[in-house]
Amino acid sequence: MKRKLKLRMRLAACFALSVATLSANAQSDPFGRSFSKPIGAAAPPAVQYIFPEQINVPAGKPTPVALHFRISSGLHINSNTPRDEYLIPTTFSIPDGAGVELKDAAYPPGSDFTLPIDPKTKLSVYTGEFTIQVHIVATPGNHLVEGKLHFQACDRNQCMPPKTIPVAIDVIAK
Amino acid sequence: MKRNTVVLFAVLFILAIFAWAGWANWEYRKQAAERLAAANASKAELIPDASGGMPQYVSPLTGKPAPAFALEDLSGKKVTLASYKGKALLINFWATWCAPCKIETPWLVELRDQYAPQGFEILGISTEGDDLKPDDKAGWAKDKAAIQKSVEQMHMPYPVLINGDSLADTYGGLDAMPTSFFVDRNGKIVAAQLGLTSKEDIEANIHKALGE
Repeated sequence: MKRKLKLRMRLAACFALSVATLSANAQSDPFGRSFSKPIGAAAPPAVQYIFPEQINVPAGKPTPVALHFRISSGLHINSNTPRDEYLIPTTFSIPDGAGVELKDAAYPPGSDFTLPIDPKTKLSVYTGEFTIQVHIVATPGNHLVEGKLHFQACDRNQCMPPKTIPVAIDVIAK
Repeated sequence: MKRNTVVLFAVLFILAIFAWAGWANWEYRKQAAERLAAANASKAELIPDASGGMPQYVSPLTGKPAPAFALEDLSGKKVTLASYKGKALLINFWATWCAPCKIETPWLVELRDQYAPQGFEILGISTEGDDLKPDDKAGWAKDKAAIQKSVEQMHMPYPVLINGDSLADTYGGLDAMPTSFFVDRNGKIVAAQLGLTSKEDIEANIHKALGE
């Protein structure tokens, strides 16, 4: 009898936990639409920083770091050296006072890109993944650096406003 | 027996906690959905073309009066939408950094010259998207210089206004350039275009604005 009661209690506990877990993690909104992302989540940015997230560098010495980025499919951004002065170049910067100084940045050359409607005009752009080679100098200590990548993205028919995304790197300098 | 009672209360307590969490979660999502629906009320959407061509831009502003505005031109003079009442208008949001806009502009210049005698005008509204603050004199001066240079290079004969970003909320977000709205003589938006389409598409919408 005692054993049966214990079993019932355990079953009740399991049932309660299952129901509660289901209700807490419900993935549909009050209007019955199911979704995998939280409501209000913004569309992914045109460019995402991939890695590195953390680097170890010797303090006070210029150190090379390769910063990797990914551009969303179907989009392109101007290279660092666009062919027309009115186009916005892709640039990387580190704010002053971060404990880490950007000594120089080497950008990859752009690829030629033409809009289907204007095949004569060649644009210099990045697509897919690209890497910026930088040299940084850090003071001793741990620095959570928030670099900035400034770019302007387009697809074949339209352009989005210029944007700046954060490039977060944990720099450990010893 | 006493132990069983304690376990039972513990289970009920846990159940109550999770039920509350579920209700709070539901309430949060309901409010978030309402906020999103409100934010998207004036946003446009792209509808795939049945013939397999470019997606058709469907703006919720189509069929409604064009939202009023008063913006400065490059000389600093205030220009209002209301002052163009009685004309068929193409309100063209563009930017100096927009390569598709550079392709479209010569078409607009030709079409404006062609249809101006019938009471058609274009308002070019520069929408640089650089979030300048009102007191950033150097920033505005730099913007104006770049816009002026583009206007001269592309021989734009129609009025060019600045600070189109201030109209983003009323004109459906202005998330991409070029974006055009075609307004009839009664001030109603009769068509909208997002991105580079073709001179023929633009001309067809000008006919709609002229009521032809």
